[in-house]
Amino acid sequence: MRRIIDNDYLTLFSRLFIGGIFIYAAYTKIIDPAGFAKSIWFYHIVPGKLINLMAIVIPWLEMLCGVGLILGFFYKGSVFWVNMLLLVFMAALSTAIARGISIDCGCFKASAASSDSAREALFRDIGFLVLSLQLLFSRCRKWMIDG
Amino acid sequence: MNYNFRQIIWLLVFAAIFGIVRNKLFSGGVELIGNWRDLSSGDGPIVPPSAEEGDPPFIAIDVAQMEHSLGKTIFIDARDPEEFVCATIPGSLNMPFEYLPEGDLKPYLDSVLGGAEKDLPLIVFCSGEECDLSLHLARNLQDEGYTGVMIFFGGATEWEKFELEIERSAECEE
Repeated sequence: MRRIIDNDYLTLFSRLFIGGIFIYAAYTKIIDPAGFAKSIWFYHIVPGKLINLMAIVIPWLEMLCGVGLILGFFYKGSVFWVNMLLLVFMAALSTAIARGISIDCGCFKASAASSDSAREALFRDIGFLVLSLQLLFSRCRKWMIDG
Repeated sequence: MNYNFRQIIWLLVFAAIFGIVRNKLFSGGVELIGNWRDLSSGDGPIVPPSAEEGDPPFIAIDVAQMEHSLGKTIFIDARDPEEFVCATIPGSLNMPFEYLPEGDLKPYLDSVLGGAEKDLPLIVFCSGEECDLSLHLARNLQDEGYTGVMIFFGGATEWEKFELEIERSAECEE
């Protein structure tokens, strides 16, 4: 098991895949902070005063972490935040599903008009989390600026 | 697993700096402190001065939006058809208070509501604070035995103010 987790190519794949996903997700939100703020508001779990601040900061955190994973720069911090963000997104989606809210996740589009259902998004995030956990436990440091 | 705590903090700091700079310098920025209503903020529903004891409950925008997203509540627009076709909450039924038939309302209500159960949640609204058609219609519905009536007094204006989706029919004349 340890050999699989530490595999150089698997680690590189996870870095590029999760990094690319995070950069794309971040870009769609950075260009429309108001739309992303509305997406956050739909969940009804964040205090109203904090929503805009989160809509401004989170997409850039996603962007920096995505770039960090791909380049292997600020790598440990990026891996930490990617795992934390995925857990937070999954918790938010789970509460929406538990409350029966037919919400669109706002994961890849700032607007809540995205066609993603919360359930689909949750399953997708579970897949992403598997890869990001592999990065968390992998000891491979090849092809990284930090390496 | 051996984290570099400084990297974690620096990433957050850089994200905040980039985000605030982008928000200030480029178009589409938002206020740092938002004005979003939330369920625990104490922002209550808009209640008109003409409200009386025994009226159906008034609900705030967040509750209205939540009920709308759940899709189990019928939204009823109490305004004239001319206003209804131009801007209403998506999926709403139009029941113009001004055109309610005299006398027995039951056949009319049954036809508009499709014979809905009397305890079905109904949210009545009109334009907003300047309009009390929703209040009067809600009282009528309550008198007819509908027990799940609620009044969204912020109406279409508040719905639009929060940039929620508005339905506009092709029949709307500019």
